[in-house]
Amino acid sequence: MIPTDPNLGMGQVYEPGAFWDEMFESRGRPREQYTALAARLSTLSPDDVGRRQRAADLSFVARGITFAVNQDPNGIEKIIPFDLIPRIITSAEWTRIERGLEQRVRALNLFLHDVYHEQRILRGGVVPPELVLGSRGYRREFRGAEPPLGTYTHVVGSDLVRDGSGDFYVLEDNLRTPSGVSYVVENRRVLKRVWPEIFRDHDVRPVEGYPQDLLQTLLSVAPADVDDPRVVLLTPGVHNSAFFEHAFLAKAMGVEMVQGSDLFVDDALVFMRTTTGRQRVDVIYRRVDDDFLDPIAFRPDSLLGVAGLLAAMRMGRVTVANAIGTGVADDKAIYAYVPSIIRYYLDEDPLLPSIRTYIGADTADRRYILEHLDDLVVKSVDESGGYGMLIGPHAPQRDRDEYRSRVQANPRGYIAQPTLALSRHPCWAAEHLEGRHVDLRPFVLFGRDVRVTPGGLTRVALRSGSLVVNSSQGGGAKDTWVLAS
Amino acid sequence: MLCRVADDLFWIGRYVERAISVSRLVEVTQHLALDAGGSDFWAPLVADAARGRDADIEYHLAFDERNDNSLVSSVAHARAIARGVRESIPSEMWEELNTLHFWLASPEARHVQSTFHREARARLQHVQGLADATLARDEPWQFLSLGTYLQRADGVTRLLRQQVHLLVPASDAEDTSVRCLAVLRSCGSAEAYARYYSLAVEPKRLVEFLLLNAVFPQAVRFSLDRAHDMLHAIADRRAAAGNARGPAIRTLADVRHFVGRSTIDEVFEYGLDAFLDNVQNAIGAVAAELTDTYLRSQPRPPQLAGAGLGDGALQQ
Repeated sequence: MIPTDPNLGMGQVYEPGAFWDEMFESRGRPREQYTALAARLSTLSPDDVGRRQRAADLSFVARGITFAVNQDPNGIEKIIPFDLIPRIITSAEWTRIERGLEQRVRALNLFLHDVYHEQRILRGGVVPPELVLGSRGYRREFRGAEPPLGTYTHVVGSDLVRDGSGDFYVLEDNLRTPSGVSYVVENRRVLKRVWPEIFRDHDVRPVEGYPQDLLQTLLSVAPADVDDPRVVLLTPGVHNSAFFEHAFLAKAMGVEMVQGSDLFVDDALVFMRTTTGRQRVDVIYRRVDDDFLDPIAFRPDSLLGVAGLLAAMRMGRVTVANAIGTGVADDKAIYAYVPSIIRYYLDEDPLLPSIRTYIGADTADRRYILEHLDDLVVKSVDESGGYGMLIGPHAPQRDRDEYRSRVQANPRGYIAQPTLALSRHPCWAAEHLEGRHVDLRPFVLFGRDVRVTPGGLTRVALRSGSLVVNSSQGGGAKDTWVLAS
Repeated sequence: MLCRVADDLFWIGRYVERAISVSRLVEVTQHLALDAGGSDFWAPLVADAARGRDADIEYHLAFDERNDNSLVSSVAHARAIARGVRESIPSEMWEELNTLHFWLASPEARHVQSTFHREARARLQHVQGLADATLARDEPWQFLSLGTYLQRADGVTRLLRQQVHLLVPASDAEDTSVRCLAVLRSCGSAEAYARYYSLAVEPKRLVEFLLLNAVFPQAVRFSLDRAHDMLHAIADRRAAAGNARGPAIRTLADVRHFVGRSTIDEVFEYGLDAFLDNVQNAIGAVAAELTDTYLRSQPRPPQLAGAGLGDGALQQ
């Protein structure tokens, strides 16, 4: 096909730049899996692409696919900016990611079972006990509990990034209540609607099976004595930033979406209040944080939780997914030990590499961090969403000084990693394509077996040059294709 | 279904119906105000504080966000509730309420005055139509419809109560037919009335039609009958699960009989104002009893006592 409109910003003018570009090997030369998309794009005018982009944006607003931003009092409901140029992952790349994630999730669940039982790994000196037992995510209240199948993390969303050489790394694991999967499904739906033509050139693996897979996973961990288990989704309510996703998943699974006030515990059984009386609940897919889950066990001021839930869980009368206390395993300091954790429990080498991580609590690492603040990304170990983070090379001296004193005052609270040259992907910027940094959050389900939904959420740092992809910080998203062959 | 969700559906039904009737009322009075002596039609509708020029009152009824009963407030309420239970209603219904809410706030909606109310109502009725066409005839639909019909019975009763003394001519010389027609139009009932009684509008026939007709959907009797059907099914299901039906079904059956077994002459003999007050109070009682039995959380089990959660908190 002959490029008809160079203004579109295709090969001729799109600059892959000094980063790993997901679409182009070099200026004007698309990677093999992108050749059909590049050819298709070169036949379109900017008007045509712009029209489809607007149609997509309108569709998100009309359908109320919105999120709330924590720290923005005016940002009651926003859409996640959607970039309509899809990201394409080859079947070979995906197989590697899939195996790597499965290995990681199995090892982390063995780790969780261990640290809440015998603590062999701590006694063996593989992971420093004070890092585990002192983690904000460690819940001694859950020690000795036996979640069905030994599964602690039924839903995992790990963040992967590609560096300058094109290798995938795990940037962090989200083992508590990871969100974003609804956008995986909705982005696909919207792109199919506004740009059906491009799907004809490719064999894209579907993603809409996720809710059914999630339901199967939840059913597989129901208390053993229940014949026909009832699953519910527990949401903090309409003001939560991920409320759309809660509603989306409940609807797609055909289960009730409940709030804490809809549930109560009686004789260690959990019930929901219905118009015909009380009904027993067997599995709770909770999107409420540990702290708020049970006012008796945790924060007494929580109105979002269910009093007595922890006791019911410990007695095996109800399964809560994810289990309590999984946050210890996605603590950013524990992250540094995940390769050792994989070797310890599985006797295998990690298939997906982690990023070199300097731990504030370690004397030598701390010295390195303080001497290299200019080069490092410093992160608070128990914050997420792109908050509590210093990007050394881009930050003003004032911020670096502030983080220096923070690390000195609370070394256990911080880790640092080299600043990565995150890969970029062409994105539609009003009139043409421009490279923007991206990451990838695949979703892993773990009940009786491990299932990884093909693709995941590709998050985009939409501001030119920005490395922060979090939706709460102005990040956008792309549809992510895994090719069948 | 969850008490909270049932409550929310009930209120979506009420708010959508309320929005439709407010919109109709505003449009009818816009027309009426163009005729001689028509503008005092507003008077009974608004609190003293809001009275002023017609344009102000129209703003108050249609667009004032501080007026909890205005068109935009009703839609905003319905939309906010629907957002919280979007997993329990058809997606199209939620999307229509969502886009309607944004449309009402848009400048283009208000610029085209001549078609504004017609379009607003068409979209609200689309919401009702979607529910009718896509919801299974089980509890969610029954609670939604219960809200719709109780609201309608309440709204028509209220309108009659406010207008009726203005409909009866003070002297033989006064012609109230324009005002009577306006009342009928406010209930979307003028054409149906004409088919029943011809266009010669008599206040007594008007009251008979809007209050006692058993087959016309805007009539109080029809609405109470439908509300009763819904609550009956709901109460049966609760009884089948071994729980008490609660007093609401009895109260609703009583008021339904009170209306259904009266002739128009008996209504006037009883005293129209007293009759309407009776119906109004009964509808209020049904709503309160309904909330107690079906929509509010059940009493807390003993384990929860002392956990620091007041009843108010459980309702949030």
